[in-house]
Amino acid sequence: MDPWEFKPAGDIGLKGMARLRSYQRETGLTASLARGAWWWLTRGYFRLWHRLEIHGLAHLPAAPPFVLAANHASHLDALALMAALPFAWRDAVFPIAAKDVFFENHGVAAFGAFFVNALPIWRKSARAHEMLNLRHRLIDPPSVFILFPEGTRTRDGAPGQFQAGIGRLVAGSDAQVVPCFIEGTFEAAPPGRCLPQPRKIRITIGRVLEFRQLPDQRESWDEIARQVRTAVLALGPAHGAIHPRNETRKKT
Amino acid sequence: MTEAVLHRWFDCTGAFSHPFTRWVVFASGALIVLSPLVFLILDRAGRLTPELRADLFSRWKSWIWIAVAVISPILMGAGWVVGGVVVLSLLCYREFARATGMFREKLIGLAVVLGILLATFAVVDNYPRLFFASAALTVGVIAIVTIPQDRPKGYLQRVGLGVLGFILFGYSFAYIGLITEDARYREILLLMLLAVELNDIFAYCTGRVIGKRKLVPQTSPGKTVGGAVGALVLTSFLVILLGRFVIYPGTPMARWWCLLILGPGISILGQLGDLLLSSIKRDLGIKDIGTTLPGHGGLLDRFDSLVLVPPACYHFHSLVLGPLGDGQLERIFTGP
Repeated sequence: MDPWEFKPAGDIGLKGMARLRSYQRETGLTASLARGAWWWLTRGYFRLWHRLEIHGLAHLPAAPPFVLAANHASHLDALALMAALPFAWRDAVFPIAAKDVFFENHGVAAFGAFFVNALPIWRKSARAHEMLNLRHRLIDPPSVFILFPEGTRTRDGAPGQFQAGIGRLVAGSDAQVVPCFIEGTFEAAPPGRCLPQPRKIRITIGRVLEFRQLPDQRESWDEIARQVRTAVLALGPAHGAIHPRNETRKKT
Repeated sequence: MTEAVLHRWFDCTGAFSHPFTRWVVFASGALIVLSPLVFLILDRAGRLTPELRADLFSRWKSWIWIAVAVISPILMGAGWVVGGVVVLSLLCYREFARATGMFREKLIGLAVVLGILLATFAVVDNYPRLFFASAALTVGVIAIVTIPQDRPKGYLQRVGLGVLGFILFGYSFAYIGLITEDARYREILLLMLLAVELNDIFAYCTGRVIGKRKLVPQTSPGKTVGGAVGALVLTSFLVILLGRFVIYPGTPMARWWCLLILGPGISILGQLGDLLLSSIKRDLGIKDIGTTLPGHGGLLDRFDSLVLVPPACYHFHSLVLGPLGDGQLERIFTGP
């Protein structure tokens, strides 16, 4: 565990939407309790309604920082991944969410910030300093980012291309990438459907990828996006090459 | 629960029975109504820059909320005061914790919150012995709660800050609730709050006029010896005058020596509370401790002068008048 640090909250002095959108946002006891309740609620929901199965939990690093990169088919994806991660990490897990969808309205942004712990990203024009701030946020304090490198939900169920943004987050850094494949969320709640259907959801977590040796430059970002996509798709049912479904499930 | 207890907690029919309560409410209302008129006159006369004008109106709006939030519970009954104090304590501790980084220590935060709730329960239960014990119990819990985490590094710092936060913003403020056990709590609380707020204003005004020598320039560059002495004299005069002729006539508190301790006591403790928070802010390198009140900063930036006053006020009244709340039903919930 980290030693005690005598420093004010990173977002001190900010208020309202500026605080909710800040990458320096830090929350205390109340938000932690709210997130704890939310974790149990979503965990129960996915277990009961979607018969959630989690495979490959043993592949998760022992501690943050790392990026959990997955295919994206539904708004359920981030919630399902959060419910799959250990309860003890609930305050360190940050789904990266579209600013134009989740951080324009005060109510949605407050819910996203305090219950889901989401951090915003401007998908259409993520500026260099935004990515740099996110990169710093991943490392200090050590965090877990849930990222969907496609940038949007698939409209036909087939995974799209991965954007280079994931490379900008981890190239040349100690942060690892954990590939992850989600099945069933497209059938349960595809884009355009409000109420999720009771379809089975399966999450498969793959082996850790490291990009410490790659320099932080454009070519590396593209290469990282390509490698991560390959690793994520390899966990899917169409491939099955590295499918660790039969591995021992670890209780969280 | 008896009729008398419910009456003390929630009955507001006697809110204006004392002239002092009427005066304070009337004066506060008049200030809130007249202030913007004065700002507009000054603005028309070209004495205000746009920034100053915006700042004054921002502060004025915050003052409306502060006045309503402070005076309404006192008028509505002791139960509302206790409820308001709990909210104030929790919000002030939250600001302190975010400013010092204590919010990252969630177990200690939980211990502080439980300590505040225990002290409040003791007030609601009218169980003073539990109230006084709650300080020692909570400090003990704060000291041991992180031991199982096996993190000796930073132990003194986090426990020290947890205890400081609880005692200053939880336990000290809870004394306001304890004062409500006295039948004259409205007058006592309004006198205390009025004296503390005016003490700040007196210090500022006299400091501007006669203040030359800095009081503690490294801690609070704006405060002067002249301002401190001016506030001491004027606040003492105000408390002695109101105490002798309006609030305490016919009681032991109306004696000169009592008022000569109470008035300067409120002024000195008010100024020390202000300097205490300034010391915390200078140590942390921040200007304001929060952003809750536009134009003022955080709640602690506004209520810093109050931090040290309630315990002293309660114990001094108890010393002179006898135990406050004597004769009231004790241990309402936990009693036999």
